[in-house]
Amino acid sequence: MMDAVLTLEGINKTFGAVHALADVSIEIGRNEVVGLVGENGAGKSTLMKIFSGVYQPDSGRILHDGKPIALRSPLDAARAGIGIVHQEQSLLLNISVAENIYLGREAAFIRHGAINWGAMHAAARRQLGKVNLDIDPRRRTDSLTFAERQMVELAKALVLEEETDGHIVVFLDEPTSVLEQIEIDILFARVRALRGRASFVFVSHRIDEILQLSDRVYVMKDGAVVAGMAAADATEEKLHRLMVGAGRRTEYYREDRQVPHAPKVVLAAKQLGHAGQYRDVTFDLHAGEVLAIAGVIGSGREGVVRTLAGLLPQTEGRLELDGRPVTFLSPDAAVRVGVGYVPQERRVEGVVLPMSMASNITLPSLRRMSRWGVLGGGERQLARDWVKRLSIRPPDIDLPCGNLSGGNQQKVVLAKWIEAGVRVLILDHPTRGLDVGAKQDVYDLVRTVCDQGVAVLLTADTLEETIGLAHAILVMRDGMVTQRFEAPAGSKPGQLDLIRHMV
Amino acid sequence: MRVSPEMQSRLRDNAPLATLIVLVLVVGMFSPAFLEANTLMLLAADTATLFIMGAGLTFVIMVGGIDLSVQTVASLASVVMAVTLPGVGWLSVPLALASGVLAGLVSGFAQTRLRIPSFIATLAVSGIAAAAALILSGTQSVPIPPAMRGTVLAFAAGRTFGMPNDILVALAVLLASLFVERRTVFGRWSIAVGAGEPAALVAGVPVNRVKVTALAVSGGLAALAGVVMGARLSSGSPTLANEFLLPAVAAVCVGGTALTGGVGSVARTLIGALIVSVVRIGMTFIGVDPFAQQIVFGAVLVLAVAATIDRSKIPIVK
Repeated sequence: MMDAVLTLEGINKTFGAVHALADVSIEIGRNEVVGLVGENGAGKSTLMKIFSGVYQPDSGRILHDGKPIALRSPLDAARAGIGIVHQEQSLLLNISVAENIYLGREAAFIRHGAINWGAMHAAARRQLGKVNLDIDPRRRTDSLTFAERQMVELAKALVLEEETDGHIVVFLDEPTSVLEQIEIDILFARVRALRGRASFVFVSHRIDEILQLSDRVYVMKDGAVVAGMAAADATEEKLHRLMVGAGRRTEYYREDRQVPHAPKVVLAAKQLGHAGQYRDVTFDLHAGEVLAIAGVIGSGREGVVRTLAGLLPQTEGRLELDGRPVTFLSPDAAVRVGVGYVPQERRVEGVVLPMSMASNITLPSLRRMSRWGVLGGGERQLARDWVKRLSIRPPDIDLPCGNLSGGNQQKVVLAKWIEAGVRVLILDHPTRGLDVGAKQDVYDLVRTVCDQGVAVLLTADTLEETIGLAHAILVMRDGMVTQRFEAPAGSKPGQLDLIRHMV
Repeated sequence: MRVSPEMQSRLRDNAPLATLIVLVLVVGMFSPAFLEANTLMLLAADTATLFIMGAGLTFVIMVGGIDLSVQTVASLASVVMAVTLPGVGWLSVPLALASGVLAGLVSGFAQTRLRIPSFIATLAVSGIAAAAALILSGTQSVPIPPAMRGTVLAFAAGRTFGMPNDILVALAVLLASLFVERRTVFGRWSIAVGAGEPAALVAGVPVNRVKVTALAVSGGLAALAGVVMGARLSSGSPTLANEFLLPAVAAVCVGGTALTGGVGSVARTLIGALIVSVVRIGMTFIGVDPFAQQIVFGAVLVLAVAATIDRSKIPIVK
């Protein structure tokens, strides 16, 4: 029997119709590094938020040193010795390193009603010593490199050591996504050195890193833990199969429906660039084509997508629609000429949550549906048709979009653009957070709009999805296109081919 | 007892109307004269200007902003009308309304181009409008020639079938606003911007234009309220609509239009304005010092906002 610090037993969590965590049970042992691996949307983040007290499970138990506890807030989690090093760094950039480390804990340094800065800086220096970071704690945080800030986050999590008598558990949420290889090596060395005083949970979708660092590995898929094993018993190949299911299936991405695109160029980028984000991006996007852009965070592909959506006008080069130069100064300008954006942040930029399904579907088409600014009829029938065509559930066109599951929200987003008659569809992580069935529906729709001659630009969550859907793939790194792959049905490039040009 | 979320939202939806009915009955119980046709007519007339102002404000609050300039814009409009009336005749009314629209456009420009929050932009414009009214009027009230009241200003100061015309003006504003709100592209865009600006932007809604238009409508209707008030009182004055801002904001919020945007209606503002009027008249009946009435409005405003918004959905209050 393992000496477990933290144990989850049968945790369930649902958001609307989405079963984010299904009967999840995991154990974190003393002085152990536990790897938690899974694709985006597998439930890793939700699980972390259960541990950090941000979400409460619908059912199941959390045990701390064998005793059931309730984590109702981040404060509860801190009291139980649970610290989080966030993926998007949570440090405030406009205050000093010491202030960040002791943010919310200043009370310990107050003497006569004022903060004793000397004591705080000395304490901060001790914390920084734990992670071997030799910087002045009085420095403003924005003067640090990303890697240094990550170490500060780690030092901040380790403050818990002094505050709780028990053993502490530190969660590292995708800590390597913004780091260079050498910095990753340093981080891993630190974590190994600190294993004597804490347990670590390392959350990532990078299998190689998980195997490098962890003692034990849990694999998550679609909200459930599908396997748990000693790292020694695991191989990359084995974990990968568990993560994505039964290998790559061609029918999954509807490759059978992928047909060669038309010769007509709809949208062309010529040495397109935005200062500080990306540069010298050139491509032709044809009617009926899916052109995918692959790249890690910071590769510049996000910038290209924002430019095409009208949210980040280019500062260099040209964008041409039907051969005529265009600059999209606002999304309005892009929408007017038939460019629709399906955003990554579905609940923020995709649908207006409190508005009805019908109003969301017609939102970009109101100009066409009105005369002198007065709305014509037909909206409700049109919405009903879409609900039927895409089998949106529940089929109630007056329901606010906030009450729909992610998959059905995404169907609403796609319906609104198809209804608006777009000629270019920009898909920014279109299946993020969707379950398998909803993903299939999205893939099917992508093929359908291509059949209708819509040109699709895609940035996907996984390489598998990128390869499966695309006619052609641009790989970006450091703001530039490093390689182009053709990806016709039946003769797709491999993931490793792409990765080689990504990192 | 636990109340389901649907039930809670239904309660929230119908609370303003229920409050109005209860208030009318309570005041009527203490003083049966209140429920006579004449008193109710007076109540309606009293509510008219407040409602017109509140209707404009509703559009701004719908898109998630606020217009703090309505009372000074109304005063300015009354002065513009009174000052120009002898010279240009009926043209003074469109001139007065134009001054209000202009004030709204200036606020809108400051908000969308200079990216200043609407409460600061309209607060500044409010100061400008107040000073302009003082200068234009020579710091005193400007009388309107009695003859003009029966001709040029009859639409606001006269009576039709025994009903004060300001009630009819308010009704026209109500119908027009409801039409704009429910049947026009601008109305739909307003809801979208107020309820989810980033998604509205991505969907191609011209967000800035919607915001500017809402402020222009608010300025124009505030000016109309000033014109009606001036016509009723036979003068334009730089302080005519002082003490109207708080009741106007209260009317919108008490009616159930959410300060966070995206939820609400001019119809709700009508109910809110009636509640404010009943409370005002009720206080007079009970004998509350008129100067102390703003205390009650302030308290009512805070309570109404606290009761009508779903605070669980608002993570940060600024």
